[in-house]
Parts: sequence; structure tokens; C-alpha cells
Amino acid sequence: MWRLARAGRAHFAVPCSGHEAIGTGYALAMRPGVDWLAPHYRDLAALLVLGMPPRDVMLCFFSRPSDPNARGRQPYAHFGSRALHVLSQQGPQPNHCSHGVGCAWGSKLLGDGSVTVIAFGDGGAQKGEAHESMNVATIHKLPCVFVVHRNGWTQSVRREDQYATPTLVARAEGYGMPGIAVDGSDVEAMHAAASAAFARARAGEGPTLIDAACVRFMPNTSNDDDSRYRDRAELEAQRAARDPLARARALVTAEFAAQVDAENAALAAEAAEWAEAQPLGDPATVAEHTYA
Amino acid sequence: MRELTVIEAVREALAEEMARDEHVLVLGEDVGKLGGVFRATEGLFERFGAARVVDMPMAETVIAGVAVGLAMRGLRPVAEIQFADFIHAAMDHLVGEAAKIRWRTGGDWSCPMVLRTAYGGGFRGGPYHSQSVEAFYAHAPGLKVVAPSTPADAKGLLIAAIRDPDPVLVLEHKRTYRAIRGPVPEGEYVVPIGRAAIAREGRDVTVIAWGMMLHESLAVAETVANEGIDAEVVDLRTLAPLDRETILASLAKTRRLCVVHEDTITMGLGAELCALAAEAGLLDVPPVRVAMPDIPGIPVDDQLEDAVLPNRATIRDALLRLVARPRAHRSARAAFDPGIPQASSVVVVALPEEHTRLALAAVVEAARVIPRCNASFAWSGIVEHDEVVVDLDLGPSAPARGGGTITLVDYGREGSDLAVPFVRPGQTAAVRIGAVRDGRAYVACAVDHRAVDGADAGRFLAAFKTAAESAAHPDLGARSAHPDPGARATPLRHPELVEGRES
Repeated sequence: MWRLARAGRAHFAVPCSGHEAIGTGYALAMRPGVDWLAPHYRDLAALLVLGMPPRDVMLCFFSRPSDPNARGRQPYAHFGSRALHVLSQQGPQPNHCSHGVGCAWGSKLLGDGSVTVIAFGDGGAQKGEAHESMNVATIHKLPCVFVVHRNGWTQSVRREDQYATPTLVARAEGYGMPGIAVDGSDVEAMHAAASAAFARARAGEGPTLIDAACVRFMPNTSNDDDSRYRDRAELEAQRAARDPLARARALVTAEFAAQVDAENAALAAEAAEWAEAQPLGDPATVAEHTYA
Repeated sequence: MRELTVIEAVREALAEEMARDEHVLVLGEDVGKLGGVFRATEGLFERFGAARVVDMPMAETVIAGVAVGLAMRGLRPVAEIQFADFIHAAMDHLVGEAAKIRWRTGGDWSCPMVLRTAYGGGFRGGPYHSQSVEAFYAHAPGLKVVAPSTPADAKGLLIAAIRDPDPVLVLEHKRTYRAIRGPVPEGEYVVPIGRAAIAREGRDVTVIAWGMMLHESLAVAETVANEGIDAEVVDLRTLAPLDRETILASLAKTRRLCVVHEDTITMGLGAELCALAAEAGLLDVPPVRVAMPDIPGIPVDDQLEDAVLPNRATIRDALLRLVARPRAHRSARAAFDPGIPQASSVVVVALPEEHTRLALAAVVEAARVIPRCNASFAWSGIVEHDEVVVDLDLGPSAPARGGGTITLVDYGREGSDLAVPFVRPGQTAAVRIGAVRDGRAYVACAVDHRAVDGADAGRFLAAFKTAAESAAHPDLGARSAHPDPGARATPLRHPELVEGRES
């Protein structure tokens, strides 16, 4: 996707490289079509685990009107799927925090036992929206799980210029919920933390805050140039130590890993080729769905 | 019918909808045991419990954001923002999210939430408890904005908002809450969103208002009725999307517009309403807006607040000013206004002695070819009329009556060989046929040069000549400018004048 965007064949790419284990960890703890996700825009791994077909991802990437996520109206990474219980994602971060809290509140009122994962970055975590949302969720013991994909950057602004504490986990206590600090490059640890948070939510004990530390291996988006603010040597050292995919491969045999990689590459290539060939939007339809 | 105040009507709507649909819940600051600072939710906490009548932290952003999330799950949240002055912390969720969710997902998701808030000044609330915020939100397609003014509409529009599949912002004027009492239907009562109401019928001027200004405008309308001004007052009720049909129908009748609102004047809703009227070409005189001046807030001091908000005196002044302005056309006094810059052309046309019907038909045909010659000019715009109504001037014994869209002057044998007609105010062209000599006559066309240029005047005459000569000489009919006469259904009025001369 990165190469296709840079080649001008799609408008926008949002890399998730380095974040894969976080979404995979909580998506594996979710019941697809039952539990809800208010996604982070780097949540591609979670969407694939929840069952979004690669072709739909690529339709979103190529901004085609047949994309069930964003219908050619929002750029890539604005995910959403009613069928998969993924709330429609917006641009301004992290407005979906309160939407996720409302969704969890709905679960409580409807009594359907579902849990909502609310995922956002450490940039989003600095906004009043995140604070207000966590406050309301704990007041009402709502069945939700807040997950910070904490890669230490808000585009070009380093962690030290965003918040004064080394992690965000201590904030949980301030709201009256447990906080779990996890190595977000470790899929097993992430899954364990998410499972514990889900158990608590399902038991009616309220939300949990998971601080999932990870490394953003790529620039913020295809419009970003991280060479202006990131140290290459430091980044390469982090990549060597904390690549979630390398760590996951170590859990299986080399043959199996190679087979999965080859299958996925073929799937992605086929989906991209197919999606790029889908028609662009009809200008006559641009005002449709302004109102019901 | 029993009467309620506006606040009682709001309360009744909430209670009835919560009883009807368990998906309806109320959330906001102080809405629980206190019953809201204005008591809109009084009794709901006791009746429906804490799960459905929820006191929220003092955090407007999350009140709106949670309502968005609840609505996306299919619940029907009715959020309250205590004062409209505090609503902007919720704007990102209203404008950036709720208004866009259906559109941005191609209809997969919807956001059927309601957000109620109290707005408006006039009770010494100062800059943060008095503002009118409608223009910010009426600017957001996807969001509906209603502003009931009467108790019946307060109930009916709130019920409609709760049942609406899209997000609705309900603006309640806090001065109406207890000051306005009126009949309210019992039980289920839904007022459709998107429909304005004619609160008072009139012929001379259209006043558009909402909230407390509706009531002030109605009071003024009764006052000026004694001064000979028959004002029509439109209760806008839905501010977005606008009920263009009702507004334009009223303006087509009165052709004068006054908008009254408490919001500041620049970029206020009045600007949009004036633009709507101007674009439709329905104004005979420039419109008037009665609104707050462009100052940052409504001051609390008695005299200062009274000085900035519209009131009965300023509304009355505006109406008197409006009707004193001369209409750009229709005014008999201005019938020979020499101020119209004119241009003219002349052609020679083959015509029989008796040619009045033929000439009328040729004028109609030429007006179809050059519609700009069958138009009205006002400073608010040029309107090309669909219908051709000829003012036929057959001389001192049968002068034109006025009221037409174009003038034809024909003094027959008594007339000059060649004379240029005047353009009547409100029209853009006039045609004069000189006396017929040897089967030919000079025909002159004068046009209002502000609306029609000389070349079009010439084209108009050429079309007139073609049509007249084709009809006068049937053997030339093959060159007729009527390829399909049946397709033209342009009505021709004032036939009695034609009959009168021939009899």
C-alpha cells in the first residue's frame, strides 16, 4: 500500500507496521459480530482478524464507492462495518472515544453482554475527549476496554512533548479503573491483557485501560516525512528488538511462517489488483445519504 | 383544548416518547433529580429511573459524543446542553460526526440523536447565557435544526425529532418556556420537520422569525395593521433544511421581506433568507434584517441588552421603512420614471391594416426567442417571466392597463409613421408599431438598457418581424419561427382589449 500510494495510484496510506500485535491481541479476544470495535486508524490487523475481506480493505485503500468502510467518501483507514461491529471511524482523533463509550452504554442498556474496544493513539490520549470518555465509562462501569496504541509519537512530536509520564497506565487509577501496561509488540501478552479486560467488562465491573507500547516503524502517513524528526539508527535498533511480526514468527516453524507470508502476499496482491479495477464514484450520487 | 406553557409541552413530549419507546433516554447536566435547570425533565427521573434519565458530568463534548455512540447502536438519546452558549464544546460531535455519519458511510450507519438546548436573550443573562447559535449549526448539511416557538410546536417538533432517523438540534427559546402559553393537542402529536408555518396571513410584507422574535413580530403585525400594513408572519420552525416552498410562496405574494433574529446580523440566518429571496427574484424592494449588531456578546446591563436585541419598536420601524421604499415595478406613480436608461431599434415589417392579433402573437413569439425582453428588472435581480402578459396600448381611448410583462403600442392609422415607445417600470421592453403605409410599417423596440443590450433588442425585433410576416403571408409559413406551435402554451392575457377595439 505504501508503495502504491507513493506511486500515486492511491491517495493515502496509513502504515500499521509495528502495531500489528496490539489489534491482533484484542481482536482475538473479541467475538466477531458480537463485540464492538471503535477502531484506531492503525487497526488493519484487528480488522483482518475480525473478518474484513482483503478486497474490502483494498477498496477502502483505493477510495472506491463500493468500499463498505467509507464508500469513496473518506480516505483510507477510516474503517467501519456494521456487519463486523466496527464503528465508522472519523478524521479528528480521538472523537470515537465517546462514540465507543456510547456504544458500550448501549450494550448495557440493551443487556446484550457485548463489549466495546476503544483504540486510539497516545496523541489522541492527550485530548479532553479521551479524558471525558474514560471518566464517563468508569462512572457507569460500562463494558468497554480502552487501548492506547502508544508508539511514542504524535506524527512528529515526541513523547516527552506530549505527556510528562513515561507511560499512560497511571491515568487509569485516576479514573478508578485498572490499568495494564503491555509490550504491544508481544501478541501473546496483548491477547492476555485484552482477555483479562474483557472478563472484567463482561462481569459488569467496568472498563480497563491498556497501555500498549509499540514502535511505529514507518512515517505517520504517506504524507509524512519522518527523516525530518526521527533518528534512523535508533529506529533500526527498535525494529530489530520489537518487531511484532518477527516475534510472532518465532512462535511457529519457519516453514509455516513462510507459507503464511506467501499466502498473505498473494491475497493482498490479488485484492489490490481487483480493487483498483473497480469503478470510481458517479458524481450524480455525491449528495446521496445526506439525510435519510 | 387545554393550554400549556412551552416548558410543559417539552416535558410532555419527553415523557410520552419515553413511555412509548424504551430506547429513548435523556442525558445531560442536572437532568435527574433537579429536573433540569429549566425543569424540562422534571418528573422523568422518578418515573423512568436513573438508567434512562442520566445526570452527566459537566462535559458537553462527551454528552454529545456519547449520544452519537448510543444513536449508532440504535438507541434514541435526547441529550440536553443546559445553555446554547455552552454547545460549542459539542460542535465537533454535532457537525463533524453526527451530521456526517450517514453520508460518510453511504447510509450504512445513521445517528438518530436529539440534542436540546435553551437559547436566546432578553432576561439579563449576559454574554454566556443569552446567545442564539443557530447559524453555526444550520450551516451543517446532514444536521437538522428546529426552533419551535409555540407550545404545540415545542411538543410536536420534539416528538418528530426523537423519531427522526437523522440527528436533530432542537433550539428552545428560554424566554418562551414560561412566557408563552397555548393550546397543545393531547397524546401523540407530530409536527413535521422541514415545514414552516404561516403564523399570520398578510399581503404587504413577509416577516420571517422564530423563537421569541416570532411573538414580537406577531405583536408588531397587529400594531401596523392599524397603520395600513398587512404583514404576513412566517414562523420558520425548521431552520435547516429550510422550507423554501413556504418562504417563496409568501414572498411571491408580498414581494417584500423582513427577517428578524436575535443572532448577530453578519452571516446570520437572515443573510441566507435574503439571498434565497433575491436569487428567486421575488423582491420588489431591498430586504430588511432586524438583528443584533455585530458585537461579541449580549450585555447584561438592562439598558445595554435592550439596546442590542430586536424589539417591537425596531421591528415596527423596519416594516415602515420597508413599505416606504418604492417598488421597483408595479408602482403607478413610477409608471413614467424617466430614470430607466433606454436603447431602441427599428425595423420595417410587412403588415396588413388590421394586424392587432397578429402583432400580439408576434410579440409573444419574439418574447419566447429573447426572454430577457419579457422580464422584470429590480436591483435585487432580473427575472425572466414564464408567462407573456402584453400591456396593449391602442391609443388615448384604450390605454394600457398595466400589470403586464411587456408593452405593445399601436395607435393605428392615427399614429405617427415612426415613434419609439417608453419602457414601463417593471418591464424590460416595449414595442411600438407605426402607421401602416403601403402594407408596411416601422416597428420600434425600446429596452431597459440595464437588463437588455442593444443586440438583443435587435434580435427581438428580427424575431417579431419573422413571426409577423410569416403569419401575415401564409405562403411564407414554411419559414415560420414556430417549429412546433403545439409545444408552446404561453397564455396570452388581456384579450378583452383586443376584442374591445375590434367591436
